[in-house]
Amino acid sequence: MSRYFRNIAESLSSLLTGMGITFTHMLKIKKGNVTLQYPEEKWPRPERNIGFNHEDYNVIRSRLTVDINDCIGCLKCERICPVQCIKIETEKAPVRGEDINEINHVGITSNGTNKVQVVTRFDIDMTECCYCNLCTYPCPEECIYMTGGPNSKKHPIDYEFSEHDRSDLIYRFAKPGTKEGIQKVKSKQGAQS
Amino acid sequence: MTVDWLYTTFSQLFSFIENTDLLFLMSAILPIGIIVSLMAANAIVMVYAEMKISAFMQDRVGPMGQGPGLHAGKFGILQPIADPIKLLLKEDTIPEVADKPLFILAPFIIFLGAIIGFLAVPFNENVIVVDLNIGIFYIMAVGSLAVIGLILAGWSSNNKWSLYGGMRSAAQIISYEIPAGLCVIVIIMLAGSLNMQDIIHYQSGGMLNWIIFSNPFSFVAFFVFFICIVAETNRGPFDISEAESELVGGFHTEYSGFRWSIFFLSEYANMLIVAFVAATGFLGGWQSPFQDFMTGPLWGTFWMLGKVFSLLFVMIWFRWTFPRLRVDQLMYICWKVFIPISLINIFGVGIWTILIG
Amino acid sequence: MDGDLMTINMGPNHPATHGVLRLKCQTDGEIISGITPVIGYLHRCFEKHSENVTYEQVIPYVDRCDYLSSMTMDFGYVVAVEKLMNIEVPEKVEYIRVVMAELQRIASHLLALGVYGMDMGAFTPMLYMLKERERILDLFELTCGARLLYNYMWVGGLSHDLPRGFVEMTYQFLDQFEPKIDEYDNVLSNNKIFVERTADIGVLPPDVAVNYGVTGPNLRASGVKWDLRKNEAYSIYDRFDFEVPIGEGIKGTVGDCWDRYYVRMIEIRESVKIVRQALAKMPKDGDVHKAVPKKIRPPKGSIYSRTESSRGDLGYYIISDGTPTPSRVKMRSPSFASLSAISEISEGWMMSDMISVLGSLDIVLGEIDR
Repeated sequence: MSRYFRNIAESLSSLLTGMGITFTHMLKIKKGNVTLQYPEEKWPRPERNIGFNHEDYNVIRSRLTVDINDCIGCLKCERICPVQCIKIETEKAPVRGEDINEINHVGITSNGTNKVQVVTRFDIDMTECCYCNLCTYPCPEECIYMTGGPNSKKHPIDYEFSEHDRSDLIYRFAKPGTKEGIQKVKSKQGAQS
Repeated sequence: MTVDWLYTTFSQLFSFIENTDLLFLMSAILPIGIIVSLMAANAIVMVYAEMKISAFMQDRVGPMGQGPGLHAGKFGILQPIADPIKLLLKEDTIPEVADKPLFILAPFIIFLGAIIGFLAVPFNENVIVVDLNIGIFYIMAVGSLAVIGLILAGWSSNNKWSLYGGMRSAAQIISYEIPAGLCVIVIIMLAGSLNMQDIIHYQSGGMLNWIIFSNPFSFVAFFVFFICIVAETNRGPFDISEAESELVGGFHTEYSGFRWSIFFLSEYANMLIVAFVAATGFLGGWQSPFQDFMTGPLWGTFWMLGKVFSLLFVMIWFRWTFPRLRVDQLMYICWKVFIPISLINIFGVGIWTILIG
Repeated sequence: MDGDLMTINMGPNHPATHGVLRLKCQTDGEIISGITPVIGYLHRCFEKHSENVTYEQVIPYVDRCDYLSSMTMDFGYVVAVEKLMNIEVPEKVEYIRVVMAELQRIASHLLALGVYGMDMGAFTPMLYMLKERERILDLFELTCGARLLYNYMWVGGLSHDLPRGFVEMTYQFLDQFEPKIDEYDNVLSNNKIFVERTADIGVLPPDVAVNYGVTGPNLRASGVKWDLRKNEAYSIYDRFDFEVPIGEGIKGTVGDCWDRYYVRMIEIRESVKIVRQALAKMPKDGDVHKAVPKKIRPPKGSIYSRTESSRGDLGYYIISDGTPTPSRVKMRSPSFASLSAISEISEGWMMSDMISVLGSLDIVLGEIDR
């Protein structure tokens, strides 16, 4: 019998404690609120500058982007990608480290490397990307990174890139017409020589 | 605003109408229309209140908007309007294997049970649709009509989860009628009447004359009654019949669109009715808490609605604080805790009235 | 009254199955008389896939197995590969790994407890717990940019060093977090309705737990003091002072749902202790990439290494044939063993109790199906 009444008393006290907690949370909503009104307010992006020789490496996971003028076509990022979402095709450049104006090919990267290859295709399928960031580390020219990363001034962060069509999520970084252009250039040179 | 008063007014106003049946029909339909719109308005207010209160308790802000157009208005005020529009525009599906006539009938039975309860609810000294001399008994009686609708909904969906929900809610509502009824007996013993207005008149003269404070047994009776009516409306910690984490949605799993919104509407309407009964029976109805302070018809409505919405707030508070009970624990609380306490209350009130007065 | 049993399918889409688990239940009214878990709806060929990618490429896949506790999953994998390659990891890396793993354990347990409360119908405590979990995820985002699937621990090191101010921010978080644990106790653990729903329900006796290979908090709740962090201290766990909580049957029997719930609550407190100690002892300088091999090409051989993930004994069996790709990666998943015990402990209970048992086992389907 005493257990019966103790049970009732216990229930009442524990339930009232719980109600007290939710009520205090309700009264302190101004202080405790965590909701952000998304399109107007955005979650602050963490700011940090650390390691990996990048002075301003902002660690961020967002859309991948490539500075195609700096790409030497070494295929390191394609090989490291665990889901094979990067597809690269290259063509040997006629002269090492020389610009080809017909296809807007830049011969020397911003790091001063002479390019041997012409990148004719550089596709990143963002529907397959798993945002592991593995491709950005081996790049010798630091030209592939996530937007908002090292070159955040050039490429502001972009994590809202939803599209109506799935094929729009395949980002093609190689300059359009490079593939046909380089063949035309080569055949022209072949005819001259 | 009884039907009789409307009838006499109409017969004076429209003296050219000879047909007395027509006049009677008019005076009957008008209050029904008002009640239906009241139910809809109540649902809108309650949906908004529930969204906001639950959000505040959970450190969120609930529906918000920076202005009309893009979002749901300032502070999300338009959200309870947008919700019904969405529900009405949705496709109303009936499962292929459902028992179609019963499936269609079920929500309307629940709706009917909710709507006819309002007939005997006093809003202030004068405004009551029908001043029945068995008012409180009538409300308790038609309140149980909902259980038929719930069983029908659970059965006709032809879904095992819905069936579980229907059976659970039937057992639950029928069981909780008993302690609730026993607590109403305490009111009737003290007030000596089943008439809602008489019960309120008995409690006139300030807060201390309310039935809840008239003796310790009725004080306990109020809390027992309040928890029972929460259980009867299938809410709060007692929502085992729709238990979303166990039965997915219980009896309304298969309902969608308009039919589902009727379940929703009825739930809030039922809450409103039982809150009215609790406010009338224990908290002095439209009486002011202080003697001769802010009395009058308008203040009466204010006090009544104030008490009702405080009770509704507590119901929302319950729901967003407590875990859900298991079905046998629910029965345990009903049969082994509330019924003995209610019986002791009746006995105690009787002794108290004889000895102390 | 004898009647036929009703077969009812719970899942794959059900709010309380924590993913895509299907439970075939034989019910007699509300009473469950038979229960068969059907798994495989989230099978992603993790083990087969690992045979086709290099060692470092396995880590993103490992992340996605137990997506609620990626750091501890990574930890187990890199420890296994490092053992295979005999890599000595710098001191600083070890400390950072412990801090990350314990923060992840807190985050994972917070989600488990909150969602368990939601299974019981208490929605509000879940959001209180998720609010604190978000702060831990903020710390992770600060460190490695990702909030859920980190790919932070590498073989021989870490992808990044700690950001500036991380230690202070973690202390700040812990200071404001510790009082919240008492609040959770008040709002959920000691709530009478919650206790009624969980105490004495689904009792898992220690011998049954051991027979089924149940590990982690579920085993400890049954009263078996077994924690790989203490018993087979890997990494640097032997340097920290912490208790291994076991179920004591405070509200009911030893090994009931409430014990499984509460052991996690105490483990959160213990993890807070470990994080504080690790932050205090952590060396200031050191290169986190010092021991990262240029090419991960382990010698021929095999290794079985196990660590304590948030859900229990997480083992990796890796066979190397001397090439950059593993010849075989097998994962021993703790949730799988926990789930297999469900039919043993929830038969004869009611429908609602089965939900309670399932929630208290804290399974993650990504890890069961792999």
